[in-house]
Amino acid sequence: MLHSFVLSFRLRNAYRVNSILYSLKQIPLVKKILPDRLYQSKALKILGNIISILLEIVNIFLGKILYLWLMIYAFLTLYPTNPANTFLHLIFFLTIAGALMNTYMFNPTKDKYYAMILMRMDARWYTVSNYLYSMLKTIIGFLPFTLLFGFLIGMPLWISVLLPFFIAFTKSIVSCYNLAVYQNKKQVINENNPPKSYWIVVGICLLCAYGLPALHITITPLVFGILFLFFALCGIYAWVKIWYFPYYFSIYRFLLANHSIILSASEQKNKVTQETTHKYIQFDARFTSNKKGFAFFHDLFVKRHRKILTLAIKKQSIVILLLFLGALVLLLINKDIHGEINGLLLTYLPYFVFIMYLLNRGTTVTQAMFMNCDHSMLTYRIYRTPRVILGIFRERLKTLISLNLIPAFILGSALTILLYVTGGTDNLFNYLVLFVSIPAMSVFFSVHYLVMYYLLQPYNVQTEMKSSTYSLVQGLTYFVCYFMIDLHLPTFYFGIATCIFCILYSLISLFLVYHLAPKTFKLRL
Amino acid sequence: MKLVIENVKKRFDKKEVLKGIDFEFEKGKIYGLLGRNGAGKTTLFNCLNEVLEVDEGSFYLVEDKQKRPMEDEDIGYVLSTPNVPEFLTGREFLKFFIDINEEHITNLKSIDEYFELMKISEEDRDKLLKDYSHGMKNKMQMLVNIIMSPKVLLLDEPLTSFDVVVAEEMKNLLRSIKKDHIIIFSTHIMELALDLCDEIVVLNKGVLKPIEPDRKSEKAFKEKIMASLMEE
Repeated sequence: MLHSFVLSFRLRNAYRVNSILYSLKQIPLVKKILPDRLYQSKALKILGNIISILLEIVNIFLGKILYLWLMIYAFLTLYPTNPANTFLHLIFFLTIAGALMNTYMFNPTKDKYYAMILMRMDARWYTVSNYLYSMLKTIIGFLPFTLLFGFLIGMPLWISVLLPFFIAFTKSIVSCYNLAVYQNKKQVINENNPPKSYWIVVGICLLCAYGLPALHITITPLVFGILFLFFALCGIYAWVKIWYFPYYFSIYRFLLANHSIILSASEQKNKVTQETTHKYIQFDARFTSNKKGFAFFHDLFVKRHRKILTLAIKKQSIVILLLFLGALVLLLINKDIHGEINGLLLTYLPYFVFIMYLLNRGTTVTQAMFMNCDHSMLTYRIYRTPRVILGIFRERLKTLISLNLIPAFILGSALTILLYVTGGTDNLFNYLVLFVSIPAMSVFFSVHYLVMYYLLQPYNVQTEMKSSTYSLVQGLTYFVCYFMIDLHLPTFYFGIATCIFCILYSLISLFLVYHLAPKTFKLRL
Repeated sequence: MKLVIENVKKRFDKKEVLKGIDFEFEKGKIYGLLGRNGAGKTTLFNCLNEVLEVDEGSFYLVEDKQKRPMEDEDIGYVLSTPNVPEFLTGREFLKFFIDINEEHITNLKSIDEYFELMKISEEDRDKLLKDYSHGMKNKMQMLVNIIMSPKVLLLDEPLTSFDVVVAEEMKNLLRSIKKDHIIIFSTHIMELALDLCDEIVVLNKGVLKPIEPDRKSEKAFKEKIMASLMEE
């Protein structure tokens, strides 16, 4: 068993070190310093090993302290009950819920796939030895913090010492139960996709954990002591069963059959994005097009992507309209707040930059354009001719601007009406500026996202986003819009400045697209 | 008509993949491009298709003894993994391509005639491309390139996803259109190259080399190709 464990530990460590080196190679400046043959470098391997050990230590302790602090200790002040009893109560029920959802044994992971499926290591010894190690990590990881928090809240020392063992026993009982389910029903439980009954138990446990103390009901040390004895006996029995269980390989052959587990995190994310984007395509034979050429192509794209285009805009418009009507009713009922709202409308226009940023779905739409259309079409040379690129760009821009203008006009009109209802303004231009500046912002975001997509085309052949410039622009857009929240400027001046900026930005960026897109809008290899 | 490649070089970081490609491809022939994994076949295609910029050298067409650069309409590229816009039906995809290329297409047929050419059944023609099988998507990709009738057609392992019957049909189709085109066919399968192609060129160590056919026996010719592929 020890031999199996050492082998599996070395295997896990080897690919963890390689993953660390790979991650280092992805950092823009560091990758230039690192040699191409970095996996052969002894010094880098040592560095990787040190980072790997540090990660293992963090993995043992950090999660535990965060869990005890954020899920339990932080809640103690909310309840009128004795803190030590509440702590005990919360940890008791959360442990049962956690044991169902986090077994370690039934989590299909890469290390298990490599060891048991690819390397054909003895499944029983691999599982038992690694399970023992994971339980040891649980006990060692929890002990310092149950002692620490126990000391802080005046919990009896014996409880602080027993709690980590209680957690380990409960986890073992659940694992043993899952093994029994397989043995009796040939059903393999995947902890990432647990059966409904588990969710129900978890729900009940959460309700008991956070609900009962509010009703002055908690577990007392005596009750815990009795329950601990029961769980310990069951846990020891579970350990005997786990040790002698003969069908681990059959379980893992089933559990690890899904090849997506061997994909890296970014590959998995990319796969999920691709699948989600493909689901946007809705085919309805009623929706065809009588247009020709670029207009035909784009018209069908819009009709087959109604979910993220027209329907999304419709939903936004309805929500804005309802909020406006709600605000209107509120203002008619309560006239005391008119002055305050009027003041806000005349100084809070910058805030609406952020609102318009949130309303614009540029990233989702350009992602769908790439995944479902341009990814394949850009492989055709004819699609990359300036005539076709700019022809389709024009169609797309027209659609995005006109669609996004619908909720923008509703919002612009709503704000103008609210300004009038709350007492109006001496400067009549304020109405016009308020009404025009929101659609101007909408045009800006429509142009901005599409132009960035055409100038920076950030995706590669594998549909992964590979442009750090594009990410930077996205981040900057967010920060600038977020910064606007705290900016309070007269609507009149800010509105005029916004309109001028939007016109200039649109003109410059369209000029750039017409000159540069035929060169920049291509697949990254 | 000839496609002339002169001293084309391409490197990625420190690795020089193409070390000076010099070659002349002639109209009316199918060229079998053979090379080991990582030899640079796809890189060469991507350079010719101008997805990648060459570091040095140039390529151009010679027509009626006049040199001219390759235009977008002159080149078609069929990839081994089919690339079709999944939100369109097969019919809509063809309509769009015909719409935007009307002025370049000679001898334009009806969309259904094109489907017939590729033996795509009536019931599949109005289905979304996302519901097509891998092989059918490949047929559509090939069909679009045949409709466009580019002067140079680059084929990167295009027959591997077809069943034997369709593969045979595709080979016959390529043979029937070769008289008006320069077809460069990249493959790993030597038998396929020998069966379909008029000339064999080997890309090894970043250099493109023609292999003169051995008139005496096919076995000797194969050995010659193998020797060229394995040359260190």
